[in-house]
Amino acid sequence: MGVIWLIAKDEWRYWARTKLALVVIIIGLVLTVASVVVNSIQMSHAKHERDHLQQSADKQFLEQPDRHPHRMVHYGHYVFRTPSPLSIVDPGVDAYTGTAIFLEGHQQNSAMFADQRQSSGLTRFSSLSPAFLLQILMPLLIIMVGYGAITREKEQGTIAILITQGVGEYKLLIGKFLALLTLGSMLLLPLLFASIYAIFVGESALLSGIFVLSYLLYVAIWSALVVWVSSITAKGQSSFAISIGLWIAFSILIPRVASSTAATMMPSAGKLESDFAVLDELRKLGDGHIAIDPAFAQLQANLLTQYNAESIDELPINFRGAVAEYSENQLTEVLNQFAETRMHEELSQAKIARLFGWLSPTLSIRSASMALAGTHLETHHRFLREAEALRFEFVQSLNRVHREKLSYEADINRYKDKSTAQNARVDSSNWQVLSAFEFKSQKPQQRLVQSFLYFLQLLFCLGFAFCLIGLTARRLLK
Amino acid sequence: MMMLRDLKRESKFLAKQKPLWALLAILLMLSSFAVYTGVNEIRQQSQTLERLLQKDRLDREDVLSQQTDFGSAAYYSFHLTYAPPQKIAFAAMGQRDVFPWKHRVRMLALEGQIYETDADNPELTFLGKFDFAFLVSVLLPLLIILLLHNIASSEREMGRFDLLLVTAKKQRNFVIPRAFIIICCAALVLILPFITGALVLGTDLTSSLTIGLIALGHLVFWAFLTLFAGHYGNKRFFSSARIASGLIGIWLLLTVILPVASDTIIKQSVTSPNGGEIVLTQREAVNDAWDLPVESTWRDFLVSYPQWSGSTNMQSLFEWKWYFAFQQVGDQKAAALSKRYRNSIVRKDHYASLVSWLSPPMLSQRLMEKIAHTNVSAALAYEDNVRKYHTQLREFYYPLLFNDTTFTEKTLTQVPEFSPLDIQD
Repeated sequence: MGVIWLIAKDEWRYWARTKLALVVIIIGLVLTVASVVVNSIQMSHAKHERDHLQQSADKQFLEQPDRHPHRMVHYGHYVFRTPSPLSIVDPGVDAYTGTAIFLEGHQQNSAMFADQRQSSGLTRFSSLSPAFLLQILMPLLIIMVGYGAITREKEQGTIAILITQGVGEYKLLIGKFLALLTLGSMLLLPLLFASIYAIFVGESALLSGIFVLSYLLYVAIWSALVVWVSSITAKGQSSFAISIGLWIAFSILIPRVASSTAATMMPSAGKLESDFAVLDELRKLGDGHIAIDPAFAQLQANLLTQYNAESIDELPINFRGAVAEYSENQLTEVLNQFAETRMHEELSQAKIARLFGWLSPTLSIRSASMALAGTHLETHHRFLREAEALRFEFVQSLNRVHREKLSYEADINRYKDKSTAQNARVDSSNWQVLSAFEFKSQKPQQRLVQSFLYFLQLLFCLGFAFCLIGLTARRLLK
Repeated sequence: MMMLRDLKRESKFLAKQKPLWALLAILLMLSSFAVYTGVNEIRQQSQTLERLLQKDRLDREDVLSQQTDFGSAAYYSFHLTYAPPQKIAFAAMGQRDVFPWKHRVRMLALEGQIYETDADNPELTFLGKFDFAFLVSVLLPLLIILLLHNIASSEREMGRFDLLLVTAKKQRNFVIPRAFIIICCAALVLILPFITGALVLGTDLTSSLTIGLIALGHLVFWAFLTLFAGHYGNKRFFSSARIASGLIGIWLLLTVILPVASDTIIKQSVTSPNGGEIVLTQREAVNDAWDLPVESTWRDFLVSYPQWSGSTNMQSLFEWKWYFAFQQVGDQKAAALSKRYRNSIVRKDHYASLVSWLSPPMLSQRLMEKIAHTNVSAALAYEDNVRKYHTQLREFYYPLLFNDTTFTEKTLTQVPEFSPLDIQD
């Protein structure tokens, strides 16, 4: 063990002498600190803005005057997705998904106002997020410092001396690896502080710890890869070129290839197209605005027997309200079925893309990081599902108010004159049916489970890199 | 002067360089993959549009056949609007995955509809598409750096430099022919798949040529930069790795740091209303109208359409003309916000275009997107086209509603058709 530390220390001493590592660490730290700070400010600004919009939307709904209940169904409600605490490190898909949904009766709207539509378009490849810097740029810095770790010893001829003096090949390689690992870990300091901050604003401590750990694994993978490349090459320039080649492939190429492959393998129809299929299904169900639609004959017959009435005027409930409730129920079932199919499709696409994580540590840390931070596709889907649950709940509550609290007679005469219109209203206290919407990302346990596979991918990459080192250690001098 | 003899000698030498062959093969594969997915994407988008157009027509015919008055016809019928992909967009998919290019609209308040998106899978969009423009603007510089940074310095490091200087007399006698051959090969493997894609889709010559030239221009820029850095570094006995590190630093500055920093500054300096405010304003205006005295709706409506001032009397508490009038008023009330929202997008794009002059990678990407009509301006032009069409719809139905025209199905055959923007100027 002592020898390994000695070698690591010696590597640090070399970096300090050439000032190389110092420059790299300073550049890396300045960039990550800047990005953590700016990104935290932006995300907390977004959080406040969306919280504020949510509160004012809630307030506006509750403050609506006395009305016909169905008018409130169409008045609708807005929900906004608030970002998760760890999104200050990894905003994930946040910028690419809409963050607001309009909820109303009879339809499921898509999320609106994705940030990317509001950006300058300069950040399609790069982004300010600490996640981008750590996932894409940090390996580059490790390469710039570490490419010569072994080749330098070879070029100077010191490697033979080291080994003949009894420093084992493994110890030499592990020592160099440790030096790079400690260097990379220093670049993770801003991430560590950001994660601690996230714990203070409500993130689970265990999860934040694992979040940092996954990045540490990532640093380890790159440190091992760089040492390995340096050990199989004779010259510094080839070690550098090969490492950069690996970096291009892992960090830039494979993620995009994964995305394009997923889109090509599983083309998805898009919402607009599936909307036609939805419409087809819905037409069969009948229009809930028109109570006399033959589609509701069965409902009418059932209600008449249930209440032992001769005609719908005699029913103790408002038949139009009953129809609205009944048809919303059926319609939602169809809508949900299609929405689930679509989300399932999107998730399958994403999962195809994430499979490429077995080939690229960058993609696996990306998936793991987003899953842990609660900024991946599943979180967005969760938002859509929760919004839909809220929509269904308040629309049906309003329909029940319509059924129970507004007489059928007053209802059908609502357009006759001003006084009948006044009668076809219910008290605004009924709008209290709306429950407050507060979006939280999945529970920590759930996110841990979801990130498990990507964690495995990271471990696999690390194991693979170590195997490579092990295999070449024996032939180091040849 | 570069002699044919030098070229011959250097190509013989280069033909034996395995790393060179490997890099060129990788570039060829990448370029082919980018073109393949691009062509595929264009085909998918065109097929999607064909299916949508057909379904849309059938759906509307079906809906209209069940209507008995113009108000319901306007209320229930949707119209597909779209911006078909230009064929050349296979090379630069640009912003089409973020900005919508297809919408179904109806005659209700447009501000409530136009921000709906039928966006692609956000996680795939986040990972990014691998198109030709991305290859050229982001990856190509790195490959060029790897190919060319050590032409001179590797000879020195191998200890052959002095020998070569003796035999080749002047340094540029071997450096320049060698670089020339490598650049030509790289250009060839980059462009060949692109030409194939252009031929397969039958894109028009001008835009294909321009995109090809931009790609080559960007390649030459990085080649010269790399050769210059190589020459400069070699004279000072820098190692190849050090030269490449410096070049990658420049790449980092131009491709990552400059765009990200300017994006942050642009975001701070251009204030924009939150999109949520627009739709909230529109919704309040539309919903308040139900409870407001009808006169107030008419007053606001007649500001835009004074010609109907004589036709605003109502027989019942609900009439379609009043309903559509307050939809129009909803749009009017949100118009100022909507305009500011849109202007902020235009201004951000404008600043981005200024910044891109400092960064060749950004510049080449933006130029390609411009030619492919996949940039922000193209997305906004499509939005304008949707607005224009929506106005046409209103102006078709208003006379029918306000004049109490007797309903005939034949009149409905004259509903204006959406026509996509004609880009072949």
